[in-house]
Amino acid sequence: MSAYSYFPGCSLTSSAGEYDTSFRLVAGTLGIGLDEINDWNCCGASPAPHHWGGNLGVMLPARNLHIAGYGHEAMVAPCAGCYNRHKNAQHELAASAELREQTSRILREPLRYQIEILNLVELFDREISPEALAERAQGRLEGLNLATYYGCLLTRPAKIMNFDNARNPVSMKPLLRATGAQSDHFPFKSECCGSYMGLAKKEIVLRAGRRIIEVAKDLGFDAIITACPLCHQNLDLRQSQINKTYGISLEMPILYFSQVLGLALGLSADDLGIDAHMVSARKLLAKISGSAVDPASPAKSGDATEPTATLSGIGEAS
Amino acid sequence: MRIGVFVCQCGTNIAATVDTEKAAAAGSLRDVHHAETIQYTCSDPGQRAIIDAIREKELTRVVIAACSPRMHETTFRRAVTRAGLNPFMMDMVNIREHCSWVHSDVDTATGKAIDLTSMGVARVRKQASLFSSKVPVTNRVLVIGGGVAGIQAALDIADAGLPVTMVERGPSIGGNMARLDKTFPTLDCSSCILTPRMVEANQHEQIDLMVNSEVDTVRGHVGNFEVDIRKKATCVIEEKCTGCMICQEKCPSRAPDEFNAGVGESKAISVPFPQAVPLVANLRKEHCRQFIRGKCGVCKKVCKSGAIDYEQEDEVTTERFGAIVVATGYEPYDWREAYPDYGGGQYPDVITSLQYERLLSASGPTGGHVRRPSDGEEPRQVVFISCVGSRDESVGRPFCCSVGCMYIAKQAILTKEHIPESQSYVFYIDIRAGGKGYEEFTRRAQKEYGAVYLRGRVGKIYPSKGKLMVMGTDTLSGEQVEIEADLVVLAAGFAAAEGAGELARKLNISYDQYEFLSESHPKLRPVETNTGGIFLAGACQGPKDIPGSVAQASAAAAKAIGLLSKGELETSPMVAAVNQTRCTGCFKCRDVCPYNAIEAVEARDGHQTARVVDSLCHGCGVCNVACPPAVISLKGYTDNQLIAETLELLR
Amino acid sequence: MKLIGFLCNWCSYAGADMAGTSRIQQPGDLHIVRMPCTGRINPLLILKAFQEGADGVLVSGCHPGDCHYNDGNYYARRRLELLARMLPAFGIASERFQYTWVSASEGARWAQVVDDFTERVRSLQ
Repeated sequence: MSAYSYFPGCSLTSSAGEYDTSFRLVAGTLGIGLDEINDWNCCGASPAPHHWGGNLGVMLPARNLHIAGYGHEAMVAPCAGCYNRHKNAQHELAASAELREQTSRILREPLRYQIEILNLVELFDREISPEALAERAQGRLEGLNLATYYGCLLTRPAKIMNFDNARNPVSMKPLLRATGAQSDHFPFKSECCGSYMGLAKKEIVLRAGRRIIEVAKDLGFDAIITACPLCHQNLDLRQSQINKTYGISLEMPILYFSQVLGLALGLSADDLGIDAHMVSARKLLAKISGSAVDPASPAKSGDATEPTATLSGIGEAS
Repeated sequence: MRIGVFVCQCGTNIAATVDTEKAAAAGSLRDVHHAETIQYTCSDPGQRAIIDAIREKELTRVVIAACSPRMHETTFRRAVTRAGLNPFMMDMVNIREHCSWVHSDVDTATGKAIDLTSMGVARVRKQASLFSSKVPVTNRVLVIGGGVAGIQAALDIADAGLPVTMVERGPSIGGNMARLDKTFPTLDCSSCILTPRMVEANQHEQIDLMVNSEVDTVRGHVGNFEVDIRKKATCVIEEKCTGCMICQEKCPSRAPDEFNAGVGESKAISVPFPQAVPLVANLRKEHCRQFIRGKCGVCKKVCKSGAIDYEQEDEVTTERFGAIVVATGYEPYDWREAYPDYGGGQYPDVITSLQYERLLSASGPTGGHVRRPSDGEEPRQVVFISCVGSRDESVGRPFCCSVGCMYIAKQAILTKEHIPESQSYVFYIDIRAGGKGYEEFTRRAQKEYGAVYLRGRVGKIYPSKGKLMVMGTDTLSGEQVEIEADLVVLAAGFAAAEGAGELARKLNISYDQYEFLSESHPKLRPVETNTGGIFLAGACQGPKDIPGSVAQASAAAAKAIGLLSKGELETSPMVAAVNQTRCTGCFKCRDVCPYNAIEAVEARDGHQTARVVDSLCHGCGVCNVACPPAVISLKGYTDNQLIAETLELLR
Repeated sequence: MKLIGFLCNWCSYAGADMAGTSRIQQPGDLHIVRMPCTGRINPLLILKAFQEGADGVLVSGCHPGDCHYNDGNYYARRRLELLARMLPAFGIASERFQYTWVSASEGARWAQVVDDFTERVRSLQ
């Protein structure tokens, strides 16, 4: 298998260290080669493109693309924000010769920017088929119902990201189901998590997070699966704040897509950094370890709506 | 040769951007003996001015620079005929649609108008007198589609004494109107007003009703169409079936109930609905045990009249018609894929308004008791969402369904009448109630029946504790709203009936990107198509309410009756003609002719040459280009005319 | 610039009418000649137009499959495609000739075609 250029970004080297750990571990297990970009720099995040007038929001990712493009055909950025920034920059560079020239001047060599940019879901989709995963997973995650949560950065703006269906993203589903787990329709899969409003207006984030988690709980999901460190932070780190603010007691594990794949492949929860999360995944792990803690609820709770497309049966109801 | 040039000002429509005096200066061209500008050429004084000029100046040919010839060519041909000229000695130049309306710069528009007028003069100079002939017409009309529009058209035509064949794809006539409970704004019972019309159509001596039938192929042209109609095998002999429904009762195979829009269940063999016309059972093989497993035969056993025939095959008959009325209607837009936010069809209690009609209807699967599909409970909170698949560019459906606002108001009223303790909420974009009594009706829904109207779109519906949470915005208050609903009704937009585009291609009529069929002119020829003898009625042309469909159906009927009333038709003289003395007899023209209009004639020396059968030629001119020695020529569009017109521009 | 457009009566001519009814502004170089069908257009007429100094020739008819005369536009497509390939051999830039399909309801598309074609030929001048 080919090696990918790997852009970790700041989150994966700090607050989302377990995302990095689990990603490298799963990639290694699947035989996917990763070359971390030499001397990578900040993707620009929110401040560079939105709060600084010039082209810094394009130039910063452009430098990463340039370095990555040396000897690699594709680059992976597991952080949805980094992925989004790099795709945006590539889009703007493709549209403006002037911008390309300007960047080339700064780099002092002709800019390489056309490397393919992948997010983590895209990468795994490409490297392992659901059938192959199912074979290795041996139904390990059977009994779980996992909510897929995409947030916004992976798919929007749709024309630039050109990934999945922005109104109804489904790309995580085939691999999740291959783990043996169930993954029902989660209506809040692309609802806003509150993003970086956590700093300026925390109540917005708490309110948004509360609803996403509550709906997932109502629908009988065992965990919410994400591929974005910021979504993860708003749902996991802030879950205790949500509980405190509203006087409720949510306990919904928030797992990274890479961690779920790792569990399916039989890697240990500790190695995958699952204990690094604020909300404990103990119950969930017990459920799949073969000795279910709570024998009273072998499947999922009663409130889950089993989606059906038919309207039949009403005749008898009358 | 004495040519007259008339430049129309069309009020200011042309004169605002084209200096018509300068355009009339094309009058200085060779052979032009008269030129003038006229304020409204198509008006009575305008036509009079042309006729006077022709007489006074002894003009032999006329060029009229005005609007599109698609608009007034016939008008002016008649005018010059009244002055004694051959109608084809008039040529129109389009300086409105192709010039004054699309250019704002006076110099550009005037220059182009001068060029176009000169081109017209060059062209008319090469024109020859043409004479049309008459052909007899077939006095029978084909009506395609048996909804309210088709029924109305068929009855009107039949009452005028012309025989009609009505072809309906489904097992019964009645269309979507038969599915409705009540109609706005009068709350008339829909089937009470429609059923008698259905029966009348079936019993009318002049109407031949063919259900389970489709149009296979269409040949011929206005006055004389030849149509192959396929009657699909239903395994029931229509003449023998009495509609007793014993087969349906005993049938062991369940099947979806198509008449009830998928709400409830039916059997593989069934009468479509109790008021169906004709009241005949039909068998759906894809659900039938006899056909799936190869053995059953229950219906055949219980049928006392021996009407079941498993071996029945499709039957194709060929009939001739003078005119065709297309009334294929609409179907509700399938919203499921485009609206994942509304559950994409996964929540049983999110239904379309047509399905809700069936729940409201006394003849529906719940006997008129409103019960939600998931658990049969009576809903207390009902949310209506308008414009699902209408006025929504993000799903590629920008147009208005034109009836949604009205039937939502109706359904909100009926909900309250069925369940007095219920509360309805309506999410809307605008309330479009432009019809007689319509605005008052929507007000009543709010004031008397307490429906709460919220101006805004719904962003998401999700299930929660056995209810549906509806998240939306009230754009008037700027607030986000969340409603706990028991039932959500989506006002799904209009889509053209399945296969409308395919039928249009068979009929050679045009249709738009949504497969709604195109009228010939949006204002003045609203029921005609671009193909002579084919008329449109009802929602196949675009979203329409019942009165609109009925009115258009009567208009289409009047057009068909008018067309056939004379018993014969004038044919277009713009057909191809062969210069027999120079024809080499290669018959390349015959190879390319789409209408088999070329025949071989043998001279006394045995040499074969081509000849055009005028009554078969449609005047496309494909042969004109194919002819190696260029001796077959399309009258009215001869090589000489086209070259003259082209060279005049480049002069 | 003198541009000449040969349009079939049933689709494209009506489409151009629709653009007019909708008042969609267009450059004024194109002069439309009405034809019953694109199948009536003789490639020799187009060559003649170029010979006599036309800056560009545009042919437009019904979309394939929608021809008023069943298959006139298929004949046109074959003939015009061949012509398009031959033009450079005569020393005529292929950008000066275009054939396209515009239906009666595509007024906006017609205006776009005129815009694009005019711009394309102008850039050669």
